[in-house]
Amino acid sequence: MGRWRYLVLYSLGEFIILELMLVAAILYWPNFEANVDNLRALAAPIPALSDLLDTIEDTGILGYIAGQHFFKGCNTLGTAAAVLFAVGAVAGEVHRGTLEMLLSRPYSRLRILTERYVAGLVALSIPIFVTSLTIPALAERIGEIELLRPYLLGSLHQAIFLGAIYSLTFFLSCIGSNPTRIAIFVLFVTTLQFAIYMVKVVTHFSLYRLADIEVFVRIADRNALDPRIYVPLLGASVVLYGASVLAFQRRLP
Amino acid sequence: MNEAGVIRAEGLTRSFENLCAVHPLWVTIGSGGVTGLLGPNGSGKSTFLRMLTGLVRPHGGQALVDGVALKGDGTDIRKRVTYMPGEVRPYGELSGLEHLRWLVRGRTDEAWPRAHEIASQLGLPLERRVRGYSHGMKRQLFFAAAMGPRVRVRIFDEPTEGLDPTRRREVLELLLAEARDQGTTILLSSHHLGEVDRACDRTLFLRRGKLLDETATGNIHRRAQRALRVQFPPETPNEHLEQAASAVRDLEGIEVAEGSNHGRLTLFVEEGSDPKQVLASLFTSPNLPEPTSFVYGELSLHELYRELYGSEGV
Repeated sequence: MGRWRYLVLYSLGEFIILELMLVAAILYWPNFEANVDNLRALAAPIPALSDLLDTIEDTGILGYIAGQHFFKGCNTLGTAAAVLFAVGAVAGEVHRGTLEMLLSRPYSRLRILTERYVAGLVALSIPIFVTSLTIPALAERIGEIELLRPYLLGSLHQAIFLGAIYSLTFFLSCIGSNPTRIAIFVLFVTTLQFAIYMVKVVTHFSLYRLADIEVFVRIADRNALDPRIYVPLLGASVVLYGASVLAFQRRLP
Repeated sequence: MNEAGVIRAEGLTRSFENLCAVHPLWVTIGSGGVTGLLGPNGSGKSTFLRMLTGLVRPHGGQALVDGVALKGDGTDIRKRVTYMPGEVRPYGELSGLEHLRWLVRGRTDEAWPRAHEIASQLGLPLERRVRGYSHGMKRQLFFAAAMGPRVRVRIFDEPTEGLDPTRRREVLELLLAEARDQGTTILLSSHHLGEVDRACDRTLFLRRGKLLDETATGNIHRRAQRALRVQFPPETPNEHLEQAASAVRDLEGIEVAEGSNHGRLTLFVEEGSDPKQVLASLFTSPNLPEPTSFVYGELSLHELYRELYGSEGV
């Protein structure tokens, strides 16, 4: 029960921060649009950043919102949330010494683990969708007309991407005992991945290429998810979930 | 054969890396009555109980609890029994009431009012957060939860550990009443001989994962009364004691206890056997000095426990 409360609170926290970031970003759009040349001059030393600005200039507010909301907001805060929601699932119980109590209830391990997996995934994804629902209304305040569908598809893609990070952390939680160590490890790896995105020569090795502005703009253009990206991501999540179940079945209390 | 309320272990065994925590164990418990699982720390009590409830997978053998075979993760068994773990670590952020409700979730409807009643009977402050509970109060909360559902088998891992004498007595009385009035099979582990003696009809002695002895609790008293302890000078070499022990082992109706050392030899003389025979054999043993004292039939339960387990049991 404690875990559900904690998930609801953290999910609410994720929603509030994402929404505040989104409101600020959308209301700033007119200024951004007016100063894009100055910003390009500032970003000149970082080629990857200049490329992002070029994409935004080509695609207008859609690319800008995709960059601010999905690439920046959801990828950073969402990754942290994915790690936070998953890391305590099993390792947290081991660390607190509550695993035996949890397992001695009249429920199967598969059910216990699946409930935890789904609850964390839902808590992680809901703020992404709910914040995206507010985009058309916010855009209207600055005189822009935005359709909802591209952002909902973007949210779905984002949730699938973060779901893979969540599943990786969940699996590590099923085989490890120290949630802090697992969280530091995953956050270190993801921060490194995010950092190399900005380095032009190695940017293609970054996982965040799978959830950057170009990907979201392509989804909006095609009005559909890109199966070359979401199928492997979903596959990875399924494999990691299966591995988590196997590891949890053998876990000692 | 009616297996309702029966716990049956058939060659149940479990190792952790190179250590065999429970050697193949064959035992049948119940139906009904209170059975104590006695042994020092590390004797395999908790592992055995965890195997019975599916929390630890056995490496061999099988178990049948209340007519249900242990399969997979033991969910089918845990639906039919209640289990109170030895390590009691609750979610501190919940109130006692919330925690108790959480612990009995998934049980029949009557589990909650009964668990609540027992918790109230034990005087637990259920409105308070569990993090403010003492160790003993946490154990009582888990005890109340394990007593709530109507089941035919209840398994407790050291249910009275950390309780004050008054609460300890209350808990044991509740267990006894449950076994007497409902015919429930109760299996509890403990390393307190006095407690097992008071509450249990039958005792299983475990040592280093092996079933050392199995007896009705009344027999423990009778056994203590038939114990012969011979004290030689403490510097007597253990191998000489061992030689003498081997010689008396051949005598009919004589059993040598484990933990014979420091010049002390404890033997159990079966009814109908003559302790004088044993003494004669020991007095004439070539390598042994003369005994400094011998006591027959005056061993306390605590001493008997020590004789069974050696120094680790003290």
